[in-house]
Amino acid sequence: MTKKIYISIIFLCIISLLQVFGMSRITLFNVSADAVTIFLAYIAVTTEQNTNTSFGFAAGVLEGLLTGNMGLHMLARTVGSFIAGYFHTPKESHTTIKQNSKRFYGAVIVAGLCANAILSATGNPLGFSPAYRIVVFGLLESFFNLILAIIVNWLFLRQSLAN
Amino acid sequence: MRKFFTLFVEYNTWLLFVLYCSIAFLFIRLQQNDVQASLHNEGIEFSAAVNEQLMKFNSLFTLKNENERLMRVNTDLLSRVLNLETATVDERNQNKILADTTRNASGFIMARVVDRKFSDRENMLVIDAGWRKGIKKEMTVLVPEGLVGRVTSVSENYARVMPVIHPDFKVIVVADSCSSMGILSWSGGKEFIAQVEHIPISSHLKLNERLVTSDFSTFSIRGIPVGRVVRIKPDNLFYDVDVRLAVDFSTLTQVLVAPLKIEPEKIRIMSNDTTTIKKRAHNFQTPAL
Repeated sequence: MTKKIYISIIFLCIISLLQVFGMSRITLFNVSADAVTIFLAYIAVTTEQNTNTSFGFAAGVLEGLLTGNMGLHMLARTVGSFIAGYFHTPKESHTTIKQNSKRFYGAVIVAGLCANAILSATGNPLGFSPAYRIVVFGLLESFFNLILAIIVNWLFLRQSLAN
Repeated sequence: MRKFFTLFVEYNTWLLFVLYCSIAFLFIRLQQNDVQASLHNEGIEFSAAVNEQLMKFNSLFTLKNENERLMRVNTDLLSRVLNLETATVDERNQNKILADTTRNASGFIMARVVDRKFSDRENMLVIDAGWRKGIKKEMTVLVPEGLVGRVTSVSENYARVMPVIHPDFKVIVVADSCSSMGILSWSGGKEFIAQVEHIPISSHLKLNERLVTSDFSTFSIRGIPVGRVVRIKPDNLFYDVDVRLAVDFSTLTQVLVAPLKIEPEKIRIMSNDTTTIKKRAHNFQTPAL
């Protein structure tokens, strides 16, 4: 378990760097997919809510350090992870891969929407109304996240979610 | 006591959540704090340094376009020099009656754009010149084609620039021929179209007229091209004007930073409350126009 957490921390660092310096540049309709949300959703499904919330907080700290806006990212990631924690599958629940995948996608959408709502509520870099930013950009980002999550799940996570 | 501990264990996830949120709120609250500011600056430094390397790699693929752009700029500058030489003779005669308020325009600092973000999360540029090179907050950023934006935060080697295409950016502009004045701002939508407000319908503003920055601006030096009028629609008292911006923000690589325009006396005279203004002029925190 401890080994798994250490590996997850290393992955979190790599994914945060990838998100800030790589993926945030690939935008479609001014919105980019969020790899950190997908990773946190995976952590939410596979670990307990406490661990997951801490991972969310750590992701916020990392992103804050890299972008310069620490408090806001900490809050957005913590809230997103905490809510995604409700999609956790207990080990003894004997769920199928399909059920776990569904939970994973649900966590991706909910965590993305929450983080986006918090980040959108405080800054307005493109001059859109708050409702537009939260609803349209939030839904669009969640949609992109979902597509990325489906690809990632299909390529890498299926075995892990099955276990 | 036992009940308390049971409660603590039962709701430990919520307590952890509240703790993390409190820390986050504390950081948001202490945004202006020195520690937070230094963390913020370190964040910019690190992020910009990594982005600089990425941009260097990326610039290899855009060399051809960059050369073509420089050729265009050179041609433009050459024609301007020729025009200016002829105009200098006329200018000399007018010097006695025209006050020169652009004395501070000398000594531009050249910088390279190392990061550019235009998304729903961030809309800003980062340049590779910080306070070591003499960059200060509120300095004007421009290119030969026109106004780019103004410096909003500075670290040791980098500075963050708020571009003209940011909803919080406003600048006073003046029309080239009819001298009509207005406030230019960008309110979203197309990234090459901005709006100008407060031009009275009595003015003789025409389509395709060039707009430049005015001497009335509190941060920008005068005469920097901003764009051309592409649509004029009369409203009740003022024109509703659309301007096509002179700068193509998607192709920015090199920029110039103009020296800080310090006019505390002008700011003082514009307001009745002298004490407030003294403080503002000292801190350079007046709302920049």
